[in-house]
Amino acid sequence: MSEMLKQLITSNDIFIQAGVTILMTLTSTAFAYLIGLPIGIVLNITDKDGLCPCVWLNRILGFFVNILRSMPFIILMVAFLPVAKFIVGTSLGNSAVVVMLVIAAAPYIARMVESSLKEVDNGVVEAAKSMGAGTLAIIFKVYLPEAKPSLIIGAVISTVTVLGYSAMASTIGGTGLGMVAIVYGHQRFNKDVIWICVAITVIIVQIIQEVGMFIALKTDKRIKTKSRKLKKIKEK
Amino acid sequence: MIELKNLCKEYATNDGTLVALKDINLKIEDGSIYGIIGLSGAGKSTLVRCINLLERPTSGDVIINGEELTKVKKKRLLELRRDIGMIFQNFNLLEQRTVEANIRFPLELAKEPKDNANKRIKELLKIVGLEDKANAYPSQLSGGQKQRVAIARALATNPKYLLCDEATSALDPNTTTAILDLLKNINHDLGITIVIITHEMRVVESICTHVAVIDKSQIVESGSVSEVFSFPRSQIAKELIIPNLIRSIKSSGNNKLRLVFDGKITDKPIISGLAIECGVAVNILFADTKNIDGKIYGHMVIEVPLDSSQCEKVKDYLNTHNVIFKEEI
Repeated sequence: MSEMLKQLITSNDIFIQAGVTILMTLTSTAFAYLIGLPIGIVLNITDKDGLCPCVWLNRILGFFVNILRSMPFIILMVAFLPVAKFIVGTSLGNSAVVVMLVIAAAPYIARMVESSLKEVDNGVVEAAKSMGAGTLAIIFKVYLPEAKPSLIIGAVISTVTVLGYSAMASTIGGTGLGMVAIVYGHQRFNKDVIWICVAITVIIVQIIQEVGMFIALKTDKRIKTKSRKLKKIKEK
Repeated sequence: MIELKNLCKEYATNDGTLVALKDINLKIEDGSIYGIIGLSGAGKSTLVRCINLLERPTSGDVIINGEELTKVKKKRLLELRRDIGMIFQNFNLLEQRTVEANIRFPLELAKEPKDNANKRIKELLKIVGLEDKANAYPSQLSGGQKQRVAIARALATNPKYLLCDEATSALDPNTTTAILDLLKNINHDLGITIVIITHEMRVVESICTHVAVIDKSQIVESGSVSEVFSFPRSQIAKELIIPNLIRSIKSSGNNKLRLVFDGKITDKPIISGLAIECGVAVNILFADTKNIDGKIYGHMVIEVPLDSSQCEKVKDYLNTHNVIFKEEI
Protein backbone atom coordinates (compact mmCIF):
# COMPACT_ATOMS: atom_id res chain seq x y z
CA MET A 1 0.00 0.00 0.00
CA SER A 2 1.46 3.37 -0.95
CA GLU A 3 2.06 6.11 1.60
CA MET A 4 -0.40 8.27 -0.25
CA LEU A 5 -3.21 5.72 0.09
CA LYS A 6 -2.50 5.24 3.79
CA GLN A 7 -2.63 8.98 4.31
CA LEU A 8 -5.86 9.29 2.33
CA ILE A 9 -7.50 6.58 4.40
CA THR A 10 -6.28 7.63 7.87
CA SER A 11 -7.30 11.23 7.24
CA ASN A 12 -10.69 9.97 5.96
CA ASP A 13 -10.06 12.16 2.91
CA ILE A 14 -10.97 9.48 0.43
CA PHE A 15 -14.34 8.95 2.09
CA ILE A 16 -15.00 12.65 2.24
CA GLN A 17 -14.25 12.86 -1.49
CA ALA A 18 -16.58 9.92 -2.13
CA GLY A 19 -19.22 11.91 -0.26
CA VAL A 20 -18.49 14.93 -2.43
CA THR A 21 -18.93 12.80 -5.55
CA ILE A 22 -22.25 11.45 -4.31
CA LEU A 23 -23.49 14.88 -3.33
CA MET A 24 -22.42 16.41 -6.63
CA THR A 25 -24.07 13.60 -8.57
CA LEU A 26 -27.38 13.75 -6.71
CA THR A 27 -27.65 17.57 -6.75
CA SER A 28 -26.85 17.76 -10.45
CA THR A 29 -29.27 14.96 -11.34
CA ALA A 30 -32.01 16.61 -9.31
CA PHE A 31 -31.53 19.99 -10.99
CA ALA A 32 -31.14 18.32 -14.37
CA TYR A 33 -34.53 16.66 -13.86
CA LEU A 34 -36.13 20.02 -13.11
CA ILE A 35 -35.12 21.06 -16.61
CA GLY A 36 -35.06 17.73 -18.44
CA LEU A 37 -38.42 16.40 -17.30
CA PRO A 38 -40.51 19.27 -18.70
CA ILE A 39 -38.46 19.28 -21.91
CA GLY A 40 -38.99 15.53 -22.24
CA ILE A 41 -42.72 15.96 -21.78
CA VAL A 42 -42.86 18.74 -24.35
CA LEU A 43 -40.79 16.66 -26.79
CA ASN A 44 -43.23 13.79 -26.38
CA ILE A 45 -46.48 15.69 -26.71
CA THR A 46 -45.39 17.94 -29.58
CA ASP A 47 -44.35 14.94 -31.67
CA LYS A 48 -46.38 14.56 -34.85
CA ASP A 49 -48.27 11.64 -33.32
CA GLY A 50 -48.31 13.26 -29.88
CA LEU A 51 -51.00 14.77 -27.73
CA CYS A 52 -50.74 18.27 -29.20
CA PRO A 53 -48.59 18.01 -32.29
CA CYS A 54 -46.41 21.04 -32.95
CA VAL A 55 -43.74 20.06 -35.41
CA TRP A 56 -41.71 23.29 -35.41
CA LEU A 57 -41.38 23.40 -31.62
CA ASN A 58 -40.49 19.71 -31.57
CA ARG A 59 -37.81 20.25 -34.24
CA ILE A 60 -36.25 23.26 -32.50
CA LEU A 61 -36.18 21.62 -29.07
CA GLY A 62 -34.90 18.38 -30.56
CA PHE A 63 -32.17 20.27 -32.39
CA PHE A 64 -30.82 21.91 -29.22
CA VAL A 65 -31.08 18.71 -27.26
CA ASN A 66 -29.13 16.87 -29.95
CA ILE A 67 -26.38 19.50 -30.06
CA LEU A 68 -25.85 19.37 -26.30
CA ARG A 69 -26.04 15.59 -26.33
CA SER A 70 -23.38 15.29 -29.00
CA MET A 71 -20.85 17.47 -27.16
CA PRO A 72 -18.26 15.46 -25.23
CA PHE A 73 -18.57 16.44 -21.59
CA ILE A 74 -14.99 17.57 -21.21
CA ILE A 75 -15.40 20.02 -24.12
CA LEU A 76 -18.85 21.14 -22.98
CA MET A 77 -17.30 21.89 -19.59
CA VAL A 78 -14.76 24.35 -20.90
CA ALA A 79 -17.07 25.79 -23.57
CA PHE A 80 -19.81 26.72 -21.12
CA LEU A 81 -17.61 28.21 -18.39
CA PRO A 82 -19.16 31.69 -18.83
CA VAL A 83 -22.59 30.18 -18.14
CA ALA A 84 -21.34 28.81 -14.82
CA LYS A 85 -19.85 32.18 -13.99
CA PHE A 86 -23.19 33.81 -14.75
CA ILE A 87 -25.24 31.36 -12.70
CA VAL A 88 -23.09 30.60 -9.65
CA GLY A 89 -20.64 33.49 -9.85
CA THR A 90 -17.58 31.36 -10.46
CA SER A 91 -16.18 29.18 -13.19
CA LEU A 92 -14.09 27.12 -10.82
CA GLY A 93 -14.80 24.49 -8.21
CA ASN A 94 -17.63 22.14 -7.41
CA SER A 95 -20.52 24.58 -7.86
CA ALA A 96 -19.32 25.27 -11.42
CA VAL A 97 -19.05 21.52 -11.94
CA VAL A 98 -22.67 21.09 -10.84
CA VAL A 99 -23.79 23.69 -13.41
CA MET A 100 -21.88 21.83 -16.11
CA LEU A 101 -23.32 18.51 -15.08
CA VAL A 102 -26.82 19.95 -15.21
CA ILE A 103 -26.22 21.35 -18.70
CA ALA A 104 -24.91 18.00 -19.88
CA ALA A 105 -27.47 15.81 -18.14
CA ALA A 106 -30.69 17.78 -18.80
CA PRO A 107 -30.86 16.99 -22.54
CA TYR A 108 -29.94 13.39 -21.85
CA ILE A 109 -32.74 13.17 -19.29
CA ALA A 110 -35.13 14.87 -21.69
CA ARG A 111 -34.61 12.07 -24.21
CA MET A 112 -34.93 9.46 -21.46
CA VAL A 113 -38.24 10.94 -20.32
CA GLU A 114 -39.45 11.25 -23.89
CA SER A 115 -38.86 7.57 -24.58
CA SER A 116 -40.38 6.50 -21.25
CA LEU A 117 -43.55 8.40 -22.07
CA LYS A 118 -43.64 6.85 -25.55
CA GLU A 119 -44.04 3.46 -23.87
CA VAL A 120 -47.43 4.48 -22.47
CA ASP A 121 -50.15 2.69 -24.44
CA ASN A 122 -51.90 5.01 -26.85
CA GLY A 123 -55.16 3.23 -26.15
CA VAL A 124 -55.05 4.34 -22.52
CA VAL A 125 -54.52 7.92 -23.64
CA GLU A 126 -57.45 7.54 -26.02
CA ALA A 127 -59.60 6.18 -23.19
CA ALA A 128 -58.67 9.18 -21.03
CA LYS A 129 -59.61 11.50 -23.90
CA SER A 130 -62.95 9.76 -24.28
CA MET A 131 -63.61 10.52 -20.61
CA GLY A 132 -63.07 14.21 -21.22
CA ALA A 133 -59.49 14.53 -20.01
CA GLY A 134 -57.68 17.65 -21.20
CA THR A 135 -54.01 17.85 -22.10
CA LEU A 136 -52.77 18.63 -18.58
CA ALA A 137 -54.88 15.90 -17.02
CA ILE A 138 -53.52 13.40 -19.52
CA ILE A 139 -49.91 14.42 -18.75
CA PHE A 140 -50.25 14.34 -14.97
CA LYS A 141 -52.84 11.61 -14.51
CA VAL A 142 -52.00 9.27 -17.36
CA TYR A 143 -48.54 9.73 -18.88
CA LEU A 144 -46.46 10.34 -15.76
CA PRO A 145 -48.11 7.80 -13.40
CA GLU A 146 -48.33 5.11 -16.08
CA ALA A 147 -44.69 5.62 -17.08
CA LYS A 148 -43.47 5.82 -13.49
CA PRO A 149 -41.52 2.56 -13.36
CA SER A 150 -39.84 3.34 -16.65
CA LEU A 151 -39.11 6.90 -15.50
CA ILE A 152 -37.46 5.57 -12.34
CA ILE A 153 -35.26 3.21 -14.34
CA GLY A 154 -34.37 6.16 -16.57
CA ALA A 155 -33.45 8.16 -13.47
CA VAL A 156 -31.12 5.38 -12.32
CA ILE A 157 -29.36 5.29 -15.68
CA SER A 158 -29.11 9.10 -15.75
CA THR A 159 -27.68 9.23 -12.23
CA VAL A 160 -25.00 6.69 -13.10
CA THR A 161 -24.13 8.66 -16.23
CA VAL A 162 -23.83 11.87 -14.21
CA LEU A 163 -21.63 10.04 -11.73
CA GLY A 164 -19.36 9.09 -14.61
CA TYR A 165 -19.21 12.70 -15.87
CA SER A 166 -18.42 13.97 -12.38
CA ALA A 167 -15.06 12.20 -12.52
CA MET A 168 -13.92 14.93 -14.91
CA ALA A 169 -14.59 17.62 -12.31
CA SER A 170 -10.93 18.22 -11.64
CA THR A 171 -10.58 19.76 -15.12
CA ILE A 172 -12.22 22.93 -13.81
CA GLY A 173 -11.03 22.66 -10.23
CA GLY A 174 -13.71 20.40 -8.86
CA THR A 175 -13.07 17.63 -6.37
CA GLY A 176 -14.47 14.18 -5.68
CA LEU A 177 -13.23 10.67 -6.41
CA GLY A 178 -12.25 11.54 -9.96
CA MET A 179 -9.94 14.26 -8.72
CA VAL A 180 -8.37 11.88 -6.15
CA ALA A 181 -7.74 9.24 -8.81
CA ILE A 182 -6.20 11.70 -11.24
CA VAL A 183 -4.27 14.01 -8.93
CA TYR A 184 -3.16 11.66 -6.14
CA GLY A 185 -3.23 8.45 -8.16
CA HIS A 186 -2.30 9.05 -11.77
CA GLN A 187 -0.17 12.16 -11.53
CA ARG A 188 1.81 10.90 -8.50
CA PHE A 189 2.16 7.33 -9.74
CA ASN A 190 0.06 5.63 -7.03
CA LYS A 191 -1.76 2.93 -8.93
CA ASP A 192 -3.45 1.61 -5.78
CA VAL A 193 -5.15 4.97 -5.21
CA ILE A 194 -6.65 4.77 -8.70
CA TRP A 195 -7.97 1.28 -8.07
CA ILE A 196 -9.40 2.18 -4.69
CA CYS A 197 -11.28 5.05 -6.35
CA VAL A 198 -12.53 2.63 -9.00
CA ALA A 199 -13.68 0.19 -6.30
CA ILE A 200 -15.54 2.85 -4.35
CA THR A 201 -17.20 4.10 -7.56
CA VAL A 202 -18.31 0.58 -8.42
CA ILE A 203 -19.86 0.22 -4.97
CA ILE A 204 -21.70 3.55 -5.31
CA VAL A 205 -23.01 2.61 -8.77
CA GLN A 206 -24.16 -0.77 -7.46
CA ILE A 207 -26.04 0.82 -4.60
CA ILE A 208 -27.76 3.35 -6.89
CA GLN A 209 -28.63 0.62 -9.35
CA GLU A 210 -30.03 -1.80 -6.78
CA VAL A 211 -32.00 0.77 -4.83
CA GLY A 212 -33.39 2.27 -8.05
CA MET A 213 -34.43 -1.05 -9.49
CA PHE A 214 -36.00 -2.07 -6.21
CA ILE A 215 -38.12 1.08 -6.17
CA ALA A 216 -39.01 0.65 -9.85
CA LEU A 217 -40.14 -2.93 -9.33
CA LYS A 218 -42.02 -2.01 -6.19
CA THR A 219 -43.97 0.75 -7.92
CA ASP A 220 -44.75 -1.24 -11.04
CA LYS A 221 -48.19 -2.78 -10.70
CA ARG A 222 -48.03 -4.52 -14.04
CA ILE A 223 -45.48 -7.21 -13.28
CA LYS A 224 -46.55 -7.97 -9.75
CA THR A 225 -48.32 -11.18 -10.71
CA LYS A 226 -45.55 -12.11 -13.10
CA SER A 227 -42.85 -11.82 -10.48
CA ARG A 228 -44.97 -13.80 -8.07
CA LYS A 229 -45.45 -16.47 -10.69
CA LEU A 230 -41.69 -16.55 -11.30
CA LYS A 231 -41.10 -16.99 -7.60
CA LYS A 232 -43.53 -19.87 -7.52
CA ILE A 233 -41.84 -21.48 -10.49
CA LYS A 234 -38.48 -21.09 -8.80
CA GLU A 235 -39.82 -22.65 -5.60
CA LYS A 236 -40.92 -25.67 -7.54
CA MET B 1 -80.30 11.13 -30.21
CA ILE B 2 -77.03 10.75 -32.10
CA GLU B 3 -77.19 12.01 -35.64
CA LEU B 4 -74.44 11.73 -38.21
CA LYS B 5 -74.91 13.86 -41.30
CA ASN B 6 -72.88 13.45 -44.48
CA LEU B 7 -69.89 12.43 -42.43
CA CYS B 8 -66.62 12.06 -44.33
CA LYS B 9 -63.19 11.25 -43.04
CA GLU B 10 -60.05 11.26 -45.13
CA TYR B 11 -56.47 10.67 -44.14
CA ALA B 12 -53.51 12.07 -46.00
CA THR B 13 -50.98 9.31 -46.55
CA ASN B 14 -47.82 9.10 -48.61
CA ASP B 15 -49.76 7.40 -51.40
CA GLY B 16 -52.42 10.09 -51.57
CA THR B 17 -55.63 10.46 -49.62
CA LEU B 18 -57.22 7.50 -47.96
CA VAL B 19 -60.98 7.63 -47.59
CA ALA B 20 -62.01 6.07 -44.29
CA LEU B 21 -65.62 7.22 -44.24
CA LYS B 22 -67.74 8.32 -47.16
CA ASP B 23 -70.97 10.22 -46.74
CA ILE B 24 -72.23 8.50 -43.60
CA ASN B 25 -75.80 9.27 -42.53
CA LEU B 26 -77.06 7.64 -39.39
CA LYS B 27 -79.70 8.31 -36.74
CA ILE B 28 -79.35 6.54 -33.44
CA GLU B 29 -82.48 6.86 -31.35
CA ASP B 30 -82.26 7.15 -27.57
CA GLY B 31 -82.75 3.88 -25.78
CA SER B 32 -81.69 1.68 -28.65
CA ILE B 33 -78.76 -0.69 -28.92
CA TYR B 34 -77.30 0.12 -32.29
CA GLY B 35 -74.92 -2.33 -33.89
CA ILE B 36 -72.53 -1.26 -36.60
CA ILE B 37 -71.16 -4.30 -38.33
CA GLY B 38 -68.56 -4.66 -41.01
CA LEU B 39 -65.40 -6.46 -41.94
CA SER B 40 -61.96 -5.32 -40.83
CA GLY B 41 -60.90 -2.12 -42.49
CA ALA B 42 -64.42 -1.14 -43.42
CA GLY B 43 -64.17 2.03 -41.31
CA LYS B 44 -66.10 0.96 -38.21
CA SER B 45 -63.57 2.12 -35.66
CA THR B 46 -63.11 5.45 -37.37
CA LEU B 47 -66.87 5.88 -37.42
CA VAL B 48 -67.28 5.31 -33.68
CA ARG B 49 -64.35 7.64 -32.95
CA CYS B 50 -66.06 10.34 -34.95
CA ILE B 51 -69.06 10.17 -32.63
CA ASN B 52 -67.09 11.52 -29.67
CA LEU B 53 -64.66 13.35 -31.91
CA LEU B 54 -61.60 11.34 -30.95
CA GLU B 55 -61.26 11.57 -34.71
CA ARG B 56 -62.34 14.83 -36.24
CA PRO B 57 -64.37 14.23 -39.41
CA THR B 58 -63.09 15.91 -42.54
CA SER B 59 -66.59 17.14 -43.29
CA GLY B 60 -70.13 16.59 -42.11
CA ASP B 61 -71.82 16.99 -38.75
CA VAL B 62 -72.05 15.00 -35.57
CA ILE B 63 -75.15 16.08 -33.68
CA ILE B 64 -75.77 14.80 -30.19
CA ASN B 65 -78.95 15.94 -28.49
CA GLY B 66 -79.19 18.79 -30.93
CA GLU B 67 -75.67 20.03 -30.23
CA GLU B 68 -73.23 20.09 -33.13
CA LEU B 69 -70.08 18.56 -31.72
CA THR B 70 -67.86 19.74 -34.54
CA LYS B 71 -68.71 23.35 -33.75
CA VAL B 72 -68.39 23.48 -29.96
CA LYS B 73 -65.40 24.90 -28.08
CA LYS B 74 -62.77 22.53 -26.71
CA LYS B 75 -63.90 22.98 -23.10
CA ARG B 76 -67.51 22.18 -23.95
CA LEU B 77 -66.37 19.17 -25.97
CA LEU B 78 -64.55 17.77 -22.93
CA GLU B 79 -67.74 18.21 -20.91
CA LEU B 80 -69.84 16.56 -23.60
CA ARG B 81 -67.50 13.59 -23.71
CA ARG B 82 -68.43 12.87 -20.11
CA ASP B 83 -71.90 12.21 -21.48
CA ILE B 84 -70.55 9.61 -23.89
CA GLY B 85 -68.81 6.67 -22.28
CA MET B 86 -66.57 4.45 -24.33
CA ILE B 87 -65.10 0.98 -23.98
CA PHE B 88 -62.46 -0.65 -26.12
CA GLN B 89 -61.28 -3.97 -27.46
CA ASN B 90 -58.10 -3.82 -25.38
CA PHE B 91 -59.88 -2.47 -22.28
CA ASN B 92 -57.35 0.39 -21.96
CA LEU B 93 -57.27 0.44 -18.19
CA LEU B 94 -54.69 2.44 -16.30
CA GLU B 95 -52.26 -0.33 -15.38
CA GLN B 96 -50.79 1.49 -12.39
CA ARG B 97 -54.15 2.12 -10.75
CA THR B 98 -56.34 -0.28 -8.83
CA VAL B 99 -59.79 -1.20 -10.07
CA GLU B 100 -61.29 1.34 -7.69
CA ALA B 101 -58.87 4.07 -8.77
CA ASN B 102 -59.57 3.32 -12.41
CA ILE B 103 -63.27 3.92 -11.85
CA ARG B 104 -62.37 7.01 -9.84
CA PHE B 105 -60.45 8.47 -12.78
CA PRO B 106 -63.38 9.97 -14.71
CA LEU B 107 -64.85 11.23 -11.41
CA GLU B 108 -61.56 13.00 -10.66
CA LEU B 109 -61.71 14.58 -14.10
CA ALA B 110 -65.27 15.74 -13.42
CA LYS B 111 -64.08 17.14 -10.05
CA GLU B 112 -66.64 15.08 -8.17
CA PRO B 113 -66.41 15.53 -4.36
CA LYS B 114 -64.74 12.55 -2.71
CA ASP B 115 -67.78 11.33 -0.75
CA ASN B 116 -69.95 11.26 -3.84
CA ALA B 117 -67.22 9.56 -5.78
CA ASN B 118 -66.81 6.82 -3.18
CA LYS B 119 -70.53 6.18 -3.19
CA ARG B 120 -70.68 6.10 -6.95
CA ILE B 121 -67.73 3.69 -7.16
CA LYS B 122 -69.50 1.28 -4.81
CA GLU B 123 -72.64 1.41 -6.93
CA LEU B 124 -70.71 0.81 -10.11
CA LEU B 125 -68.74 -2.11 -8.69
CA LYS B 126 -72.05 -3.64 -7.77
CA ILE B 127 -73.52 -3.11 -11.24
CA VAL B 128 -70.60 -4.88 -12.91
CA GLY B 129 -70.29 -7.49 -10.17
CA LEU B 130 -66.74 -6.81 -9.06
CA GLU B 131 -67.23 -5.73 -5.45
CA ASP B 132 -64.50 -8.07 -4.25
CA LYS B 133 -61.92 -6.78 -6.74
CA ALA B 134 -61.89 -3.12 -5.74
CA ASN B 135 -58.25 -3.18 -4.69
CA ALA B 136 -56.90 -5.46 -7.40
CA TYR B 137 -54.70 -4.18 -10.19
CA PRO B 138 -55.66 -4.74 -13.84
CA SER B 139 -52.79 -7.22 -14.32
CA GLN B 140 -54.45 -9.47 -11.76
CA LEU B 141 -57.76 -9.61 -13.63
CA SER B 142 -59.04 -11.76 -16.47
CA GLY B 143 -60.13 -10.25 -19.77
CA GLY B 144 -63.80 -10.31 -18.86
CA GLN B 145 -63.13 -8.69 -15.50
CA LYS B 146 -61.03 -6.00 -17.17
CA GLN B 147 -63.88 -5.22 -19.54
CA ARG B 148 -66.23 -5.00 -16.56
CA VAL B 149 -63.93 -2.45 -14.95
CA ALA B 150 -63.84 -0.55 -18.22
CA ILE B 151 -67.63 -0.56 -18.35
CA ALA B 152 -67.88 0.67 -14.75
CA ARG B 153 -65.37 3.41 -15.55
CA ALA B 154 -67.27 4.43 -18.69
CA LEU B 155 -70.52 4.63 -16.70
CA ALA B 156 -69.04 6.59 -13.79
CA THR B 157 -70.16 10.00 -14.97
CA ASN B 158 -73.72 8.84 -15.74
CA PRO B 159 -73.44 9.08 -19.51
CA LYS B 160 -76.43 8.92 -21.81
CA TYR B 161 -74.50 7.01 -24.42
CA LEU B 162 -72.04 4.17 -24.38
CA LEU B 163 -69.80 3.49 -27.36
CA CYS B 164 -68.33 0.00 -27.60
CA ASP B 165 -65.44 -0.47 -29.99
CA GLU B 166 -65.09 -4.21 -30.58
CA ALA B 167 -65.64 -4.59 -26.85
CA THR B 168 -66.01 -8.37 -26.94
CA SER B 169 -63.57 -9.22 -29.71
CA ALA B 170 -60.75 -10.09 -27.33
CA LEU B 171 -62.94 -12.30 -25.13
CA ASP B 172 -63.84 -15.97 -25.27
CA PRO B 173 -67.42 -16.97 -26.23
CA ASN B 174 -68.69 -17.45 -22.65
CA THR B 175 -67.23 -14.19 -21.44
CA THR B 176 -68.62 -12.47 -24.52
CA THR B 177 -72.10 -13.67 -23.63
CA ALA B 178 -71.68 -12.44 -20.04
CA ILE B 179 -70.49 -9.01 -21.15
CA LEU B 180 -73.29 -8.74 -23.70
CA ASP B 181 -75.82 -9.60 -21.00
CA LEU B 182 -74.33 -6.89 -18.82
CA LEU B 183 -74.61 -4.38 -21.65
CA LYS B 184 -78.21 -5.41 -22.24
CA ASN B 185 -79.01 -4.87 -18.58
CA ILE B 186 -77.33 -1.51 -18.60
CA ASN B 187 -79.41 -0.49 -21.58
CA HIS B 188 -82.57 -1.80 -19.99
CA ASP B 189 -82.09 -0.67 -16.37
CA LEU B 190 -80.23 2.60 -16.83
CA GLY B 191 -81.71 3.57 -20.18
CA ILE B 192 -78.32 4.14 -21.72
CA THR B 193 -78.17 4.18 -25.50
CA ILE B 194 -75.47 1.80 -26.68
CA VAL B 195 -73.56 1.87 -29.95
CA ILE B 196 -71.72 -1.35 -30.69
CA ILE B 197 -69.02 -1.70 -33.29
CA THR B 198 -68.32 -5.31 -34.16
CA HIS B 199 -67.44 -7.81 -36.82
CA GLU B 200 -69.21 -10.62 -34.99
CA MET B 201 -72.69 -11.42 -36.17
CA ARG B 202 -73.69 -12.98 -32.89
CA VAL B 203 -73.12 -9.73 -31.02
CA VAL B 204 -75.66 -7.94 -33.19
CA GLU B 205 -77.97 -10.92 -33.14
CA SER B 206 -78.08 -11.28 -29.41
CA ILE B 207 -78.47 -7.72 -28.17
CA CYS B 208 -78.94 -5.10 -30.86
CA THR B 209 -82.25 -3.50 -31.74
CA HIS B 210 -80.90 -1.75 -34.81
CA VAL B 211 -78.05 -2.44 -37.13
CA ALA B 212 -76.08 -0.67 -39.82
CA VAL B 213 -73.86 -2.58 -42.21
CA ILE B 214 -70.73 -0.76 -43.26
CA ASP B 215 -68.61 -1.73 -46.21
CA LYS B 216 -65.77 0.06 -47.99
CA SER B 217 -66.26 3.23 -45.92
CA GLN B 218 -69.98 3.45 -46.64
CA ILE B 219 -73.14 2.40 -44.92
CA VAL B 220 -74.79 0.00 -47.30
CA GLU B 221 -77.79 -0.94 -45.23
CA SER B 222 -79.43 0.00 -41.96
CA GLY B 223 -82.61 -0.56 -40.04
CA SER B 224 -84.05 -2.70 -37.29
CA VAL B 225 -82.24 -5.98 -36.71
CA SER B 226 -85.20 -8.14 -37.70
CA GLU B 227 -85.63 -6.16 -40.91
CA VAL B 228 -82.04 -6.27 -42.01
CA PHE B 229 -81.56 -9.86 -40.90
CA SER B 230 -84.65 -11.08 -42.65
CA PHE B 231 -84.05 -9.33 -45.91
CA PRO B 232 -80.43 -8.42 -46.32
CA ARG B 233 -80.24 -6.50 -49.56
CA SER B 234 -76.58 -5.77 -50.08
CA GLN B 235 -74.07 -8.43 -51.02
CA ILE B 236 -71.95 -7.76 -47.94
CA ALA B 237 -74.92 -8.01 -45.59
CA LYS B 238 -75.88 -11.30 -47.15
CA GLU B 239 -72.38 -12.57 -46.70
CA LEU B 240 -72.28 -11.48 -43.09
CA ILE B 241 -75.71 -12.73 -42.19
CA ILE B 242 -76.19 -15.86 -44.27
CA PRO B 243 -72.79 -17.05 -45.40
CA ASN B 244 -73.47 -20.79 -45.15
CA LEU B 245 -76.83 -20.36 -46.74
CA ILE B 246 -75.41 -18.87 -49.90
CA ARG B 247 -72.92 -21.69 -50.23
CA SER B 248 -75.49 -24.41 -49.69
CA ILE B 249 -77.76 -22.93 -52.33
CA LYS B 250 -75.14 -23.13 -55.05
CA SER B 251 -74.75 -26.85 -54.59
CA SER B 252 -78.25 -28.01 -55.56
CA GLY B 253 -80.76 -27.10 -58.22
CA ASN B 254 -84.41 -27.61 -57.29
CA ASN B 255 -87.37 -25.42 -56.39
CA LYS B 256 -86.26 -23.63 -53.26
CA LEU B 257 -87.83 -21.28 -50.76
CA ARG B 258 -86.10 -19.30 -48.11
CA LEU B 259 -88.20 -18.91 -44.98
CA VAL B 260 -87.43 -16.03 -42.67
CA PHE B 261 -88.19 -16.10 -39.00
CA ASP B 262 -88.19 -12.58 -37.68
CA GLY B 263 -89.47 -13.17 -34.17
CA LYS B 264 -93.17 -12.99 -34.96
CA ILE B 265 -93.72 -16.72 -35.02
CA THR B 266 -93.06 -18.30 -31.67
CA ASP B 267 -93.55 -21.98 -31.18
CA LYS B 268 -95.73 -23.23 -34.03
CA PRO B 269 -94.40 -26.38 -35.73
CA ILE B 270 -94.40 -24.85 -39.19
CA ILE B 271 -92.64 -27.53 -41.19
CA SER B 272 -94.54 -30.50 -39.82
CA GLY B 273 -97.74 -28.55 -40.25
CA LEU B 274 -96.79 -27.91 -43.83
CA ALA B 275 -96.19 -31.57 -44.55
CA ILE B 276 -99.42 -32.68 -42.90
CA GLU B 277 -101.78 -30.00 -44.17
CA CYS B 278 -100.54 -29.77 -47.74
CA GLY B 279 -99.49 -33.33 -48.12
CA VAL B 280 -96.25 -32.13 -49.62
CA ALA B 281 -92.90 -33.62 -48.79
CA VAL B 282 -90.39 -30.87 -48.23
CA ASN B 283 -86.71 -31.21 -47.84
CA ILE B 284 -84.83 -29.00 -45.40
CA LEU B 285 -81.65 -27.89 -47.12
CA PHE B 286 -80.48 -25.49 -44.50
CA ALA B 287 -81.65 -24.20 -41.19
CA ASP B 288 -80.15 -21.68 -38.85
CA THR B 289 -82.65 -20.50 -36.30
CA LYS B 290 -82.19 -19.15 -32.84
CA ASN B 291 -84.49 -18.72 -29.93
CA ILE B 292 -83.93 -15.25 -28.56
CA ASP B 293 -86.14 -14.23 -25.65
CA GLY B 294 -88.67 -16.88 -26.67
CA LYS B 295 -88.89 -15.65 -30.24
CA ILE B 296 -87.53 -17.45 -33.24
CA TYR B 297 -85.05 -15.67 -35.48
CA GLY B 298 -83.18 -17.05 -38.44
CA HIS B 299 -83.46 -18.64 -41.82
CA MET B 300 -84.43 -21.92 -43.30
CA VAL B 301 -84.17 -23.13 -46.88
CA ILE B 302 -86.58 -25.79 -47.99
CA GLU B 303 -86.86 -27.70 -51.22
CA VAL B 304 -90.38 -28.11 -52.63
CA PRO B 305 -91.62 -30.23 -55.54
CA LEU B 306 -91.30 -28.72 -59.00
CA ASP B 307 -95.01 -29.36 -59.55
CA SER B 308 -96.57 -25.89 -59.67
CA SER B 309 -99.91 -26.77 -58.01
CA GLN B 310 -98.14 -28.28 -55.02
CA CYS B 311 -95.83 -25.33 -54.92
CA GLU B 312 -98.78 -22.97 -54.77
CA LYS B 313 -100.26 -24.96 -51.91
CA VAL B 314 -97.09 -24.54 -49.94
CA LYS B 315 -97.03 -20.80 -50.58
CA ASP B 316 -100.65 -20.42 -49.54
CA TYR B 317 -99.96 -22.33 -46.37
CA LEU B 318 -96.97 -20.12 -45.56
CA ASN B 319 -98.96 -16.99 -46.30
CA THR B 320 -101.83 -17.98 -44.04
CA HIS B 321 -99.38 -18.69 -41.23
CA ASN B 322 -97.56 -15.39 -41.70
CA VAL B 323 -94.28 -16.97 -42.56
CA ILE B 324 -92.15 -14.64 -44.62
CA PHE B 325 -90.54 -16.38 -47.55
CA LYS B 326 -88.63 -15.60 -50.67
CA GLU B 327 -88.26 -17.63 -53.81
CA GLU B 328 -84.88 -16.38 -54.88
CA ILE B 329 -82.43 -16.69 -52.11
